[in-house]
Amino acid sequence: MSNKINIPENYERWEAEIKIGKKEDTVTIGYWRDGCKGCGICADICPKKVWEIIEAKDKWNGQVVRVIDATNCIKCMLCEVHCPDFCIKIY
Amino acid sequence: MAFEYEKYLRMDKIPHLWCPGCGIGVVLKAMLRSLENVGWEKNDIAFVSGIGCTSRAPGYIDCNTLHTTHGRALTFATGIKMAKPDKHVVVFSGDGDATAIGGNHFIHACRRNIDMTLVVVNNNTYGMTGGQHSPTTPIGYKTSTTVYGNIDPTFDICMLAKAAGASYVARATVNKGKVLEKYITKGLENKGFSVIVATANCHTQFGRKNKMGDPISSRKWIADREIPLEKAREMKADELNDVIITGEFITDEQERTRWENYNHPIHEYTDAYKKIIEKAQKK
Repeated sequence: MSNKINIPENYERWEAEIKIGKKEDTVTIGYWRDGCKGCGICADICPKKVWEIIEAKDKWNGQVVRVIDATNCIKCMLCEVHCPDFCIKIY
Repeated sequence: MAFEYEKYLRMDKIPHLWCPGCGIGVVLKAMLRSLENVGWEKNDIAFVSGIGCTSRAPGYIDCNTLHTTHGRALTFATGIKMAKPDKHVVVFSGDGDATAIGGNHFIHACRRNIDMTLVVVNNNTYGMTGGQHSPTTPIGYKTSTTVYGNIDPTFDICMLAKAAGASYVARATVNKGKVLEKYITKGLENKGFSVIVATANCHTQFGRKNKMGDPISSRKWIADREIPLEKAREMKADELNDVIITGEFITDEQERTRWENYNHPIHEYTDAYKKIIEKAQKK
């Protein structure tokens, strides 16, 4: 796999400088709002509370997610692996 | 690094039709990562499925795909494998598709030990048709056809496959996507019939009637009942009530020793068939 960041243009983006242990790193989180069905698994599974559920009237159960604090991200990839709708990309 | 699922997906079909938070999406993702791990050409793989929620999965994969009749996915897959033994055949099935309507096909595919991989997504119910009880609905749980609680004992799909003669059997839950990926990769690499059971959540049909109508509580219900195989071996039989035993039930090496004990040759079906063709042509 290449190190190139490959997030499509219709994705929302958050970038931050993070620290994993003592190692410094950067993270880019991509989120596809149109494809998201608002199940909330990412917000539930995240060990660092990076995701937050917010209201969205255009979705069937009235919720989507957003990143509240990307600097907390430790790139564990749990949300990326467990998102059933292919909506999260983390580089 | 994020995995590029677009490489294996028909992106014009995404977002998929499954309910929000459905476990099948996680299983599909694990399958796509496993395909990358084994490094097969997309054109050499055939995905076969029957009818049901799970069986919609091959529709989203950009490989050769076949959507067949209810329960008969393994039958069609066996045909493909016999016609093209050098290609790879993967079958997606739900618990109703594989163990109820296709139960006989399932045990006989295991018995033949034909080189295919079967991924059974077990969501304890018939999700697509309205939440009727399936052979894997646990005792005591309510479904639309068992409104006072189910009394039918359940199938343990892994034990069934093991007894019938499959050469790789493993079970993981949707809460552990990486473990699922590891097991599916091993199953794809195994020469012989591999069964991977993925215990998934169906909060819309099964969960709603059992007070866990959202994906989070439904996934927690699965996580709470999960017991690793090593731990389960030390426990007493009466403690293993309403649990999900996860782990690798049978690997290829174990299978070989088991059959040696029975003084029985183990072979893969397409290999054995090739030998028969050679024998017949020699005269």
